[in-house]
Amino acid sequence: MTGNLHTLPSASGHTRLRNLRAEAPSASGARFWSFGGTVLKILGLAVFAFLLFGPLANLVLWSVAERWYTPFKLPVSYGTRYWEVVFRPTGDAMSSLMTSVSIACLTVLVALAVSVPAGYALARLKLPWRTALMILFLLPQAFPSVAIYINVARVFYSLGLTGTITGVVLVHAAHGLVYSVWIAAAAFAAVDRDLELAARNIGASPLRTFFTITLPLAMPGIMASAIFVFLESLDEFTGTFFVGVPQVTTLPLLLYNASMGGNYQIASITALILLVPSVLFMIVIERFLKADVLSKVGQ
Amino acid sequence: MHKTLFAAGLAAALLTGTAHAQTLNVATAGDQNMVDYIKDYLGPLFEKSHPGVKVVAVGTGPGDGGSQKIFEKLDAQKKAGSATSDFDVVVVHQKAAGTLAKDGLIEKYTDKIPTGKLATRDTATNSLGTDVSGYVMPMFHSQTAIAYNPDLIKTPPSTYAELRDWVQKNPKQFGYNGIKGGMSGVAFVTGWVSAFGGDAAKLEKGPYDAATKATWDKAMADLKEFNKNVVITPGNAGTLDMLNRGEIAMGPVWVDMFYTWKTEGKLPPNMRVKLVSPGMPGQPMYYAIPEKSAQEKLAAEFIALATSPDVQADGIVKRFNWYPGIDAKNLEGKLDQAAWNQLFADITPADLSSNGKPFPIGPYFNDILETYEKKVAN
Amino acid sequence: MARPSLFGLLLIAPALAMIGALFLYPLGFSLASAFTAPGGGFSLMHFDKAYELYSTDILFTLFIVITSTILTGILSVTIAGILTLGETPWLVAALRNLYRWPLFIPFIVAAQCMRTFLAKNGLMNNTIVGMGLMEPLQATSLLDWRGIIITFVWKQVPFVTLMLAGAMASLDRATIEAGRNLGASRLRVLIELVLPQVSQTLLVGLVLSFVTMLSVLSVPMMVAGSQPTMLTVDMAFRINSYGDYATANALGVISYLISGMAAWIYLRHNVKREAAA
Repeated sequence: MTGNLHTLPSASGHTRLRNLRAEAPSASGARFWSFGGTVLKILGLAVFAFLLFGPLANLVLWSVAERWYTPFKLPVSYGTRYWEVVFRPTGDAMSSLMTSVSIACLTVLVALAVSVPAGYALARLKLPWRTALMILFLLPQAFPSVAIYINVARVFYSLGLTGTITGVVLVHAAHGLVYSVWIAAAAFAAVDRDLELAARNIGASPLRTFFTITLPLAMPGIMASAIFVFLESLDEFTGTFFVGVPQVTTLPLLLYNASMGGNYQIASITALILLVPSVLFMIVIERFLKADVLSKVGQ
Repeated sequence: MHKTLFAAGLAAALLTGTAHAQTLNVATAGDQNMVDYIKDYLGPLFEKSHPGVKVVAVGTGPGDGGSQKIFEKLDAQKKAGSATSDFDVVVVHQKAAGTLAKDGLIEKYTDKIPTGKLATRDTATNSLGTDVSGYVMPMFHSQTAIAYNPDLIKTPPSTYAELRDWVQKNPKQFGYNGIKGGMSGVAFVTGWVSAFGGDAAKLEKGPYDAATKATWDKAMADLKEFNKNVVITPGNAGTLDMLNRGEIAMGPVWVDMFYTWKTEGKLPPNMRVKLVSPGMPGQPMYYAIPEKSAQEKLAAEFIALATSPDVQADGIVKRFNWYPGIDAKNLEGKLDQAAWNQLFADITPADLSSNGKPFPIGPYFNDILETYEKKVAN
Repeated sequence: MARPSLFGLLLIAPALAMIGALFLYPLGFSLASAFTAPGGGFSLMHFDKAYELYSTDILFTLFIVITSTILTGILSVTIAGILTLGETPWLVAALRNLYRWPLFIPFIVAAQCMRTFLAKNGLMNNTIVGMGLMEPLQATSLLDWRGIIITFVWKQVPFVTLMLAGAMASLDRATIEAGRNLGASRLRVLIELVLPQVSQTLLVGLVLSFVTMLSVLSVPMMVAGSQPTMLTVDMAFRINSYGDYATANALGVISYLISGMAAWIYLRHNVKREAAA
């Protein structure tokens, strides 16, 4: 499991335990209930899966639909014509995908590099106006992005950063800070102080304590934030347009155009392509995480 | 895992340097098919006649929003004092063309190209009341019209007044996208104001008089009443989408989008369009050259090719069923009769000349939108 | 807490510099326009205009975002609860592999999917009618405020659940087992034992969801018609149709105030918690 923003079990857990009174379940008709329960569970799961995958089924259907209109409930004819369109030599889909993924990976690195110390400071150290600072990081989400990016573009033009991967990564990372700073702060706040103190007592330096105790304990949360930053970067198009285009073009730009214009086939195929790096990144992170969690068990 | 990330970073760094002798950067507003048109058709055609040149096309999104982004990018670049602009050719809507010309972000070029004299329609020089002569060449003209499903509607209304009565008798069968979801809805609303709001000619030609908007009160109140029986669809594509699933029987659409959706199998093949009187607006997409383009000469040659009768006939009319940007008479002999008839199957040239209107001039345009926001939507 | 705050400021400096250089500074250019009259000088006229034209939309936005956040919270707790306390291995395994998928779908694609899924003749109604559970005439379109909420919840539940399930998984199993052994129902264990210990994570997830939903343009634009609509659509409309950055930014300020409020509520709760601990 990723996303381990854990609060370590505290003493309060045990006090709450004491408040729970025993209410022994009646044994009669247990078999009936268990059968009924299984049917209910299957039904529930089926409804859940339908609501979850129904919209996605649309995506898959549109990606292979060549003709689909009323009164037909399903595509009139299927084919791979639009896949050929997306992957045609002049379409640049693969190179845009590569650029998108590279940018997303670099964005994660940059965002984590600045938000891990920031999150630690926000969670552990005495900072003036802490609340205000936390709210400040929400800023990128609130304002119309076009209004911000035109000015970013203006600044970047004079710095020579437009049309470079660096420029796009910076813009994406700043946008991802919302997630990485907030989640990192929460993750550090949840680390048990007693463990840190114990390490300090046996003579570990503050830095060593941080790298051997605090950081590993906060790691699951930080990794969860990495996933969100990655996805956020992979979906971004407004900033990319103002800062990257025409030298840097990413796949979401194509996706945005196609989707807003109602080119369902192209948009669906592009979205399916983008699914691949997202899922891969998640798997890689989970592998990495599991190894990490396992290594802690031995200690 | 970190190694993977660094490798990816390295790959990214390597990818940035695309080596080509000369690159012509084209930015286009509008739907994906505009980008595809340049990437797959026009670009390769131009590259063939100009060896060593690579045409790079990028789309900025449909509607005025897409054009606005092009304007903002050029404007930001100018304010930052860049020596050359990122784009060499831009394809924009009318509203942005006016602003670009007024702010000196695009240059005059039509005198320099051989096709400059082939477009003489009013819209070649006048963009929503702004004089753009010399700055732009129309890529194609588009027109809004009412799309309908002939299986459900045997005799479609032919005027706005008939449409109003039809909607009253058939509630929730007509859908349009308000004014925030794209230009087909905006076009329907401006058409409504022209039909019921009084002096239509003044809206198109000016002069602007801020007091005029008070005369639309009745029309707007009627529109609010009318809206109770219609479906507000999500966007230009949203209207077509609902027509696709048969949820509405009729709605205003861009004719070019309509035909594209039909060829892409997203509308029933028997679907048709009709241009109702007293008229609905249309507008061209313009080719323009940014003032600081690094490839001025190439850009002009590119546009000359794009507006040549051959390309207009084969690319614009035949491939996309779009109305040509240059005057139709220049296409004579370039097209077979079948393609020509196909283009005017639903909307005849006579319909177009009597009921195809320009959008109102800029200030009236904004007044109509804002009055709608105040009186109809709120 | 005894460490000098100077060190803390040093640690947070890069992040602050980034927000400052890439958002605050560029925003300053256009934000000023929200507070200045056309001729110059301080003015709140753009806020008047924003209020006059978009008061309904402000309320509509609040309604959508708050409802979606509450629903997201309830569903995430339910799913994370089943994942942690579920005693049917196949159910837990299936759920664990299922719930995450919407996370990978960009909002714009989610909007596109929902538009064709929730429509009157969309895939959902067609399936239900096809299964004989509903008459075709009963089919209604959900492409209005309900569609927006469904899309938001569909997209945000995996996000919050991912964070929440992780937090729950790292709780001390012994406490939970003990609670179960005492005979408490799983629902009670979830609400009285598990939830209080992960409330922090839940709230962070919900605040971030809240702020994210407030900032999404494509969903209200593509899922529902535009009357009334959400603030993001109005901002885009002001910019694209009128080039009116002043009013758009005034709406931005309002939107930021709303997200600031949500964050403030969370942070207040946090302070109280720390004081109580």
